[in-house]
Amino acid sequence: MKRINFLYFLVAALILSSCVSKKQKEKTLNFSGAFALYPLAIKWSEEYKKEHDEIRFNISAGGAGKGMADALAGTVDLGMFSREIAQEEKDKGVWWAGLCIDAVLPTISADNPYLETLKKRGLTKEELTGIFIDGSITEWNDVLNVDELREIQVYTRSDACGAAGTWAKYLGGKQEDLKGVGIHGDPALAEAVGKDPDGIAFNNTIFIYDIKTGKKRPGIEVIPIDQNGNDTIDPEENFYNTFNAILDAIAEGAYPSPPARELYFVAKGKPEKQATLDFIKWTLTDGQKFVKEAGYVPIAQDKINHYLDKLK
Amino acid sequence: MILKRVIIDRLSGTWMVTALAIILMLPLIIGFALYLKASPLFELQSFSQLIGSSDWSPTNGNFGFAPFILSSLYVTILSFLFAAPMCLFAAIHLTQFASKRLIHVMHPVIDILAGIPSVIYGMWGILVIVPFVGDVLAPLLNIKSPGYSILAGGIVLAVMCIPYMLNMLIETFNTVPYGLKEAALSLGATQWETVKHVIVKKSYPGIISSFGLGIAKAFGETLAVMMVVGNMVQITLNPFEAGYPLPALIANNYGEMLSIPMYDSALMFAALILLVVILIINLIFRYFIYKTQK
Repeated sequence: MKRINFLYFLVAALILSSCVSKKQKEKTLNFSGAFALYPLAIKWSEEYKKEHDEIRFNISAGGAGKGMADALAGTVDLGMFSREIAQEEKDKGVWWAGLCIDAVLPTISADNPYLETLKKRGLTKEELTGIFIDGSITEWNDVLNVDELREIQVYTRSDACGAAGTWAKYLGGKQEDLKGVGIHGDPALAEAVGKDPDGIAFNNTIFIYDIKTGKKRPGIEVIPIDQNGNDTIDPEENFYNTFNAILDAIAEGAYPSPPARELYFVAKGKPEKQATLDFIKWTLTDGQKFVKEAGYVPIAQDKINHYLDKLK
Repeated sequence: MILKRVIIDRLSGTWMVTALAIILMLPLIIGFALYLKASPLFELQSFSQLIGSSDWSPTNGNFGFAPFILSSLYVTILSFLFAAPMCLFAAIHLTQFASKRLIHVMHPVIDILAGIPSVIYGMWGILVIVPFVGDVLAPLLNIKSPGYSILAGGIVLAVMCIPYMLNMLIETFNTVPYGLKEAALSLGATQWETVKHVIVKKSYPGIISSFGLGIAKAFGETLAVMMVVGNMVQITLNPFEAGYPLPALIANNYGEMLSIPMYDSALMFAALILLVVILIINLIFRYFIYKTQK
């Protein structure tokens, strides 16, 4: 008899606990995906929790591709996504909401021997294509007037990610066309290119600049893009010194797009969970005021209105 | 009462058989599912083309797996060359020459090494092995390398395999009857001769299966290798160049599965190759064990 009582107790406990966990599930938001959006998602989750302390967040970064795959598989509530949404993905029923804008910038090490020349001269889109895609430029003296023979060491991202997709799109290719040693994740790529004096790579703005100081992180430098192709960086092309300057340039369109791009939340169909919808709505309204301080460019109001309409 | 007993007996009997059957069926089920998922790829390209071609451009529909297969084999062989002799000698020393205290210290060390998550090995690889290969080894041989290379992958893998191989080797050497050793010594053999002709010879099957375990483990390891190996699609013999093993291919591109047609089939095919190669490795080592036991 005692045993049966115990069994009943166990079953009751099980049922009760499953109820609790279901409730908890309703209040837990799981995000995964783009490294570019990760810092902002963390910032938002912290601010959101101040107003809604019952909501819990699980946020992980693993590249935009993972965000898309997880969202479509339904293993997360929202995927963080950082490149244009492909037609194949739209065909699979992706629902998305834009959040903010950032950019991918070409980077080199602060120890690069030709840093000063590169900063004055910049690289044109064609030269960057030669380095990253064609392989027609393999040494620094192919672009700079130097006598030494120093090979350029190209680094790229190995994980399926928005930064590489957007960068390749700017240079007229796909992620798989990008040459170079593949590094997993944006922080590791910044670390690798910073250490190699001959290295060249591309990073999301948030991993190049330090949000607190507004300057570039130690060890890493940006190659200015020579947009008009006159082999000099004109004053209007020179906006890479501080975080605010590059953000303004992205906002005004002085920095080309791509590599500037919109960042999204994606899901398989419109999210059904109320907590998810509330959170997206908050990010597009009250949450927008944190976009700038977190180091991103806000999107235009008419776009925000469009995405808010999608939530209704 | 008797009926109840019979029922319980029957029930428990079938339970055990089903459990066993499920476990035995698992590799078959996994293999079959992977084959089904990968089969659209076979309509696109012939099998020999898939395995032999080195042209990898998924958006154009070209899937050549040769660079990945060769990279995988290269990294595995390198790691085996580093780890196997080290484990063998360490295990002989631990079981035949070392003091009891050292063995007591070593066991937890091995367990800890085996329990460290692979991402930590990967981080350690980036922070220690990659700079070591790029800034120390490569200049020594007058080669320019960023450090992210097949060699770095091999070293990290070797360290990861060591606890598994070492543990199994120690177990094997411990099972050699003490009488055999005493007999050899009493015949006038030296310690080393005893080890060489009695201990190692007697443990041959165990040594081979521990090596097999190490190789299979190295072949399938994903995260740590992916972080240090450079992930470049190319065929190269130079260990200072970057490689792109199969597990890294699957893990890196799992996210592109949905945006490029046929990519999911290609990744499933990569998984199928992994499974088949590991099966083959196991079979070869089984055969060796069978041979030596006879």
